[in-house]
Parts: sequence; structure tokens; C-alpha cells
Amino acid sequence: MADNPTQAMNTKGISISELSVTFHPEGSEPVEALRPTSLEFEPGEFIALVGPSGCGKSTLLNVLAGFIKPTAGQAFVGGKAVTKPDIDHGMVFQDYALFPWLNVIDNVAFGLERQGMGKDERHARAREYLDMVGLKDFAEKHVTQLSGGMKQRVAIARVFATDPSIILMDEPFGALDALTRRFLQHQLLEIWQRNRKTVVFVTHSVQEAVYLASRVVVMTARPGRIKLDQAIDIPHPRDFSSEAFRRMEKLIYDQLDEELAKTFKLEGGGGTFHD
Amino acid sequence: MKTPVKTAASVLPYIWAAMFIVVVWQLVVVFTQAHVALLPPPLLAATTFAEMIVTGELFVHAGASLGRVVLAWLLSALVAIPLGLAMGRWRRFEHMVDPVVELFRPISPLAWIPLAILWFGIGESGKIFIIFIATFFPILLNTVSGVKGVDPVLIRAGQVLGCETDRALFQKVILPAAMPTIIVGLRISFGTGWAAIIAAELVAAQVGLGYLIADGMEVLRSDLVLVGMVAIGILGVLIDAVFRQLNNRFSWGT
Repeated sequence: MADNPTQAMNTKGISISELSVTFHPEGSEPVEALRPTSLEFEPGEFIALVGPSGCGKSTLLNVLAGFIKPTAGQAFVGGKAVTKPDIDHGMVFQDYALFPWLNVIDNVAFGLERQGMGKDERHARAREYLDMVGLKDFAEKHVTQLSGGMKQRVAIARVFATDPSIILMDEPFGALDALTRRFLQHQLLEIWQRNRKTVVFVTHSVQEAVYLASRVVVMTARPGRIKLDQAIDIPHPRDFSSEAFRRMEKLIYDQLDEELAKTFKLEGGGGTFHD
Repeated sequence: MKTPVKTAASVLPYIWAAMFIVVVWQLVVVFTQAHVALLPPPLLAATTFAEMIVTGELFVHAGASLGRVVLAWLLSALVAIPLGLAMGRWRRFEHMVDPVVELFRPISPLAWIPLAILWFGIGESGKIFIIFIATFFPILLNTVSGVKGVDPVLIRAGQVLGCETDRALFQKVILPAAMPTIIVGLRISFGTGWAAIIAAELVAAQVGLGYLIADGMEVLRSDLVLVGMVAIGILGVLIDAVFRQLNNRFSWGT
């Protein structure tokens, strides 16, 4: 992998077959997080996972990352079963997860070093990806000096730099203010259009999902199942206020509202569901 | 980094403190008419201090004490840091080792002095042993809490960025993330080691600041005792200043 730094075109599909996850917390009832679920994601698709809190979308993402072992069934990336975390399955976390003891460029170069790249080469490549997110001039800065939005751009540069075949994003813009969020959505989309990785993007925001994704998967309230699997074929750049965009949003909201109602009923009925 | 003005500002409180101590000391001498063998006036102690610097005798004693502490402290770090990393990372292992640690921890390093003399005699190794024990627990406990305090999301980030083995994860993520806390442990332990060496040397030594104090008492030269005590204080402050610098370098602005 990663033989040509400037033409990163490594991408694979994802296949999930009859995957289910049940947690067994110590001293309490088992929690069924994910009902048996099957999904096929084509290479280069941008999938948004949407659903009420605790619907298992983060669980699904963590299974794909190799952090959680499924109770039954399996997930495959490019035909290979996921068993443990792998640099070929990149991830962007909600709270950035930058290494605070490294400066910006060494954060971006971290994975490249693990791939065995020499210092000059990995710094050159890290600079290239910093340039891609518009942070070329911040290479030598300390990550503690950056704003939240800048940190997430560094994290995006870091994951694209290692040229993984899939990228998992766990509410990556959830902690950012609305304007920064809008800017980063735009930037991510541009990067993805030039660099068509398979992206699985977990979000709470229907608008974000419809704006970014080529396919939106809505999950049910816990235990999670697929409620709706909807292709979005509105051409980019998508206009929030266009007729087609609003129709799509409404379609998804209608499905979500049913699930939200269930969630609240469950919570009201004494169930303790949390994220 | 540090401007001369800032350095002066940080030294000034120590100068005030020293002046205060000297004034109180002189007043005590004047009002109690203490015998010179029991409490020498500050001027006499200062003269002895200066003489011992000129002859180099003070450096020999300070060097001996410092050398013992540094050696034992390094040995201690060499054992305590890896052990602490393992305890912090693997809960099962911690459950096994922790009771042993908790049983030994309340025992003052000074309580080990008799055994140290019996086992090692009055040579160097006995004192190294005492300081090893005195410095061990602060390093161990800080390393454990440092590792436990590593944000789990950083460990996950390390795993998806190619740290596939535990060794790589330790080297690239856990150790650097825990470093600020480990440094705190190293700093505290040097302090406890520095306090314990004097006690160990009081009992059995031919050279060292503790020996200087014990010897001063035996020959009724309280000025020597005071020179030893002042040297301990000054060196303690200087060593801590070095550690604070180190701390700043490793604390990455949090």
C-alpha cells in the first residue's frame, strides 16, 4: 500500500453480514446494541450513519475499526474480515485525538513513520496533506495552540496521509461551532472528491448527512437496525435551500422522528438508555 | 525563554528568606548568650562555610551525597518506571502487585537502615539500598497514575495509526502521554531520596553531608553542623529548580 504518495487511490468496499453486538456490563443486564445487520458499501462511497442517541451507530463504527468484536456475524473490508485495529482502516475521532506532545507536522507524520517512511519523506508528505487542509503554515506549531476546527483539520490530514482504504469518522464535527462546521464539511467534501476513499461518517445532523453523503443509512432506536438506506444523488455542490435537498431532509426526518418517539417512550418507561 | 529580570524575580524571595533566617538566628544568639559550641553566630558559620568551599572540602561531601542519590535514584527509576507502566496498563497485573506495594510503602526508608547495615555493612551499597527504597514508591505510583490517566482515545488513535504491538503502543503513545506525570514522580522521589541520604549518612559514612553533620556534633563543632545543613538546603532548592525546568519542557502546555 501507499506506494505513490501523490496519487493515493487506495479504496475498498465494506461488507457487513448478520453482524450483531451485545454488551455485558458488569453487574447489570446485557445490552443489545446492534441487532443482526447486513450492509454492503461500494468502494468510494460516502456513507452517513444517522440515528437517535444510543442507536448503535458508534458501535457499528467501532466494530469496523476493530475496537469491538462483534457478538455474531462479521465485518469485511475489501473481502478481509476485520479482527483488530489496522492502519488501513483510518479513523477520525470527535475529540480530535491529536498527540499533544508532538507538533502539528509530527502528528500528521505519525502513521507514516509507523509505515516505515524516512523522516524527510514523511515530512514532505505530511506538508502536502497539511497544505490540502490549508494548514501548511502551522506545521511547526504545537497542537495545543490550535482551535478545535484546526485540530480536526490536522486529524483529517493525518488520516488521509496514510492512504487507508476506508476512513471512519465518529461525529467528527460534533464539537465544533456551526460556522466552523460548515467550513469543514465543505473542505472534507472537496478532499473526498479528489481522493475517493470509502468514508463511513457518523452524525446526528440530518443536514450534514444530506450535504455530504452519497448514501444515508438511518438506524433505529436501540437495539440498532437499519431503518432506511437511501442514496443521495443530488449533484455537488449541494444547496441547503434547494427543493431536492429539503425533500431529502424531510424524508430522513420522517423516519428519524418515528425512532425518536420510540426512544423517548423507552426512556419515559423507566428504561435507562444512554450513549 | 527566561529573561534575567524574571530570574532575579524568582531568586529574590529566597534572598529575603535567607536574610530573615540570619536575623532571627543572630537575635537568638544575642538574647540566649548561647555557647559557641551549641549555636555559633551566623558570621562564624559563614566563615566556616567559605573556608570549606575554598579548601574544597564541602564539595567532596556534597559530591559524595549527591552521587549516591543520583545513582540510587537512577536504579530506582530503571525498575519503577517499567513496573509502573505494566501495572498501569494491565489491571490483572496491578491487582497482583499492588498489595505487595501497599504493604511496603508505609515503611519509612529509615526503618530499613538497620537491615541495610546488617546486610551491606557501612559501605556504599547500604546507602544506595536505602535511597533506592526511598525513591522507589513515588516513581512507581506516579508512573501507574500517569499510565491510567492516558486518554483512551489517544490509545485508539495510536492503534489505528499503526501501533499494532503493545511495545509500539507503549513507546509511541503511552510513555509520552504519561511523561509529565512520570517527571513529577522523578522530582518528588529525588526530594525524598535527598532527605533520606542524610539520615543514612548520619548513621554510617566516612564522607557526605550527613557525615559532616554527625562528625560536627561529635567534635562539638556546631558550625560544621550548620554548614552541612545550609548546604543541604541550598542544594535541595537548586535540584528542584532543575526539575522544574525539565517539567516545563515535558508538560506540553496543558
